[in-house]
Amino acid sequence: MSKRPLSRTRRPSARPLRRAVQFGALAAFLVLLVAARRGGAPPSLANLPMRLDPLAMLAHALAARALLAGSALALLTLALTLLFGRAWCGWLCPLGTLLDLVPSPRPAAQRVPPETWRRAKHVLWLTLLVAAMLGNLTLLVLDPLTLVIRTFGAALWPALERGVTAAEGAAHALPFLRPAVEAIDRLLRPALFPLEASLSRAPVLYGLVLVAVLALNGLTPRFWCRYLCPLGGLLGLVSKVGLVRREVTSACTRCGACARVCPTGTVRPDRDFASDPAECTMCLECREACPYDAIRFPARPAPAPMEAYDPDRRTVLASLGVAVLGVALFRSSRAARTPLIRPPGARENGLEARCIRCGLCVRACPTGAIQPALLEGGLESLWTPVLVPRLGYCDYSCNACGQVCPVEAIPPLTLEEKRRAVLGRAYVDRNRCIPWADHRPCIVCEEMCPVPEKAIVLEEVTVTDAAGQPVTVQRPRVVEERCIGCGICEYKCPVSGEAAIRVFAVEG
Amino acid sequence: MSPLDRREFLRYCALGLGALVSGPVLTACRPRPSPTPVPGPSPTSPPASPTPSSRAPSPSPAPSATPTVAPEYPHLAVARGGEPEDLVRRAINALGGMACFVRPGDDVIIKPNICVAYHTYEYAATTNPWVVGALVRMCYEAGARRVRVMDRPFGGTPEEAYARSGIADQVRAAGGEMEVIARLKFVETEIPEGLDLRRCAIYEDILKADVVINVPIAKHHSLARLTLGMKNLMGTIWDRPAMHRNLGQRLADLTSRIRPTLTVVDAVRILTAHGPTGGNLDDVRKLDTVIASPDIVAADAFAATLFGLRPEDLDYVRAGAAMGLGRADLENLPIADV
Repeated sequence: MSKRPLSRTRRPSARPLRRAVQFGALAAFLVLLVAARRGGAPPSLANLPMRLDPLAMLAHALAARALLAGSALALLTLALTLLFGRAWCGWLCPLGTLLDLVPSPRPAAQRVPPETWRRAKHVLWLTLLVAAMLGNLTLLVLDPLTLVIRTFGAALWPALERGVTAAEGAAHALPFLRPAVEAIDRLLRPALFPLEASLSRAPVLYGLVLVAVLALNGLTPRFWCRYLCPLGGLLGLVSKVGLVRREVTSACTRCGACARVCPTGTVRPDRDFASDPAECTMCLECREACPYDAIRFPARPAPAPMEAYDPDRRTVLASLGVAVLGVALFRSSRAARTPLIRPPGARENGLEARCIRCGLCVRACPTGAIQPALLEGGLESLWTPVLVPRLGYCDYSCNACGQVCPVEAIPPLTLEEKRRAVLGRAYVDRNRCIPWADHRPCIVCEEMCPVPEKAIVLEEVTVTDAAGQPVTVQRPRVVEERCIGCGICEYKCPVSGEAAIRVFAVEG
Repeated sequence: MSPLDRREFLRYCALGLGALVSGPVLTACRPRPSPTPVPGPSPTSPPASPTPSSRAPSPSPAPSATPTVAPEYPHLAVARGGEPEDLVRRAINALGGMACFVRPGDDVIIKPNICVAYHTYEYAATTNPWVVGALVRMCYEAGARRVRVMDRPFGGTPEEAYARSGIADQVRAAGGEMEVIARLKFVETEIPEGLDLRRCAIYEDILKADVVINVPIAKHHSLARLTLGMKNLMGTIWDRPAMHRNLGQRLADLTSRIRPTLTVVDAVRILTAHGPTGGNLDDVRKLDTVIASPDIVAADAFAATLFGLRPEDLDYVRAGAAMGLGRADLENLPIADV
């Protein structure tokens, strides 16, 4: 805590209020994420935070060439920014709050990059929007909300579940703890954790991305927000015409306290301690630190001047070039032609030009079947949802992903429609299938097949077993026109390692 | 801004955690529907003091524990024609009434077939909800302390399946509880009498309960041919795929460890094809029949005849009879048709 001269009379501190708002918003965000799992919060509530994100909503509208009524929620954030500048960043953004929790070195020990680096975030969001016009939304993986949601759903929560399960297992082994462990388990499951563990394909990768963003605080506070955050950049530009902004009065003694506490380093001692509204997160820490009450936040309708690092014509042109070249390179990849197993209805819907990479579907999927794509579909598909049947199956009684998707990239199908949506098609691997290869009975895939007429049929044949004896086995065969590619056959196939029945995406 | 000090950080952590935890805790604190049954004899209740002779000797069943039935009652009862609840009452009363199987103060688990969360009961993939509800009610009428209903579906979560099947509604209306399936409760258990399956992770409460009532729905299954009482016990174990090697014998082995007190086969509707999941009403036949017996092998054997099969057509019936778990020689058994 900073030292304060004793002789001053001060207005009440705004810090408790901001902390309350920040932590309240973070808590609400996390609670909604936990509750985004199927059977939790109503989907339109679970996806509300994402729809507050103007960058993601604008990029989606440009790429999908569609306006969604639900996206209008982002206008609230824009309105907030027009009134109070980047207050979103200082008061509401869950990633911003997490960054405030990560300590930074004291000012003298910080390694502060040159001011021009602040342009990077403008290049990012401009490139993102140009690419969006070309139908590509890959850069939204760097949106702060998608980053947190994805990391939570595909890494943090599964890891927490593993940890809790291990702790429960250890405690349950002690007889006197068993009633307590079982009571706790009843509170946790199925409300918070699923009965059967959801696994992630690359939890360390997602974890590392978040850790890297947080660790940049080790150079200087809110490094991410100052230099990299594309949403922050867009909101910053809007803040140039924001109404309420920071001002230093004549009471200033040039003591420099405000410059030392500013988490985004935008207070400029060389400019009479003025700041750039595009970089100010309205955290009010400078007002707190000022011993002479010389910092005010009045309403000023005039636009703020542009800075050297603000986007100019060359930045826009460079972003245009980067976007066009990048999208062309992405699409010239062989991998971009690989058909992926998409959540129900998403393939026909043109998922790639609509998906904002938030990963709410990953979180909502009750079986853990939906995973962020790695590089199997090329960089353009990075962290878009794919089904991984060995990790989970598309539950015949569930349509949660389409309901929770904030931008209808996965269409909001009714359960009846979803049951008819074809995700892919299963193929039996006759070299490894138990009745085909080993002449032993197994009908698990047929038993599990949820299609009323059964897309897997069994053909009874008499073959000779290893001992030379005739045995009758039932061999599975997939009926192409009935298979919906839900993947429960692959998920439950008892053959170890790669299943002996596998779902492949259909073309297009 | 000044960084948080440790105390402050911990305080915020505690606050956040509190906020996160309070939701489910509050939900869990909701008063449960009181499991108080209607006391006193119901109009259809059995004679005042029937001999509880057919109780399975749960702690250590002797190898030759073919269920014995008091001579004044039939070995198996089959009720045909009528509403599900009425069918259940008629069948069980013909066996001497629920008091023959449930003693006052007993902890009862009812195990219907709720194998998927896909369809409502009309599709005959899951046990008829009124059959289950009637059993819950009768258990309480016989003085049960607690009646829980459980299954672990293979498609969808237990809670979805409980709800979609309609069973959760009927059980709660009857004052029973739907068991929240916990992974922790599947404990590795020895199966001393098992011939092939010697160890298996079985749901602990099934083994601990005073009374287990097994309530399968009679339906088609490609490997077992039919899913009946013994096959229904698959829902009480964790590792199902392991059962499929030598399914018939392993089902009998599993049955030898669980030994349900009573098996009630729901044949109000039967699924004749595309089981166990169903989904096509053309595969459903309405028989309005309920079979009850303390002998799980006899119940399964009789249920096979509803599909035009002979008891010995089912591997697990043959294996169960060979192990002395029950009798499949229907022609020699006293059967009450009510």
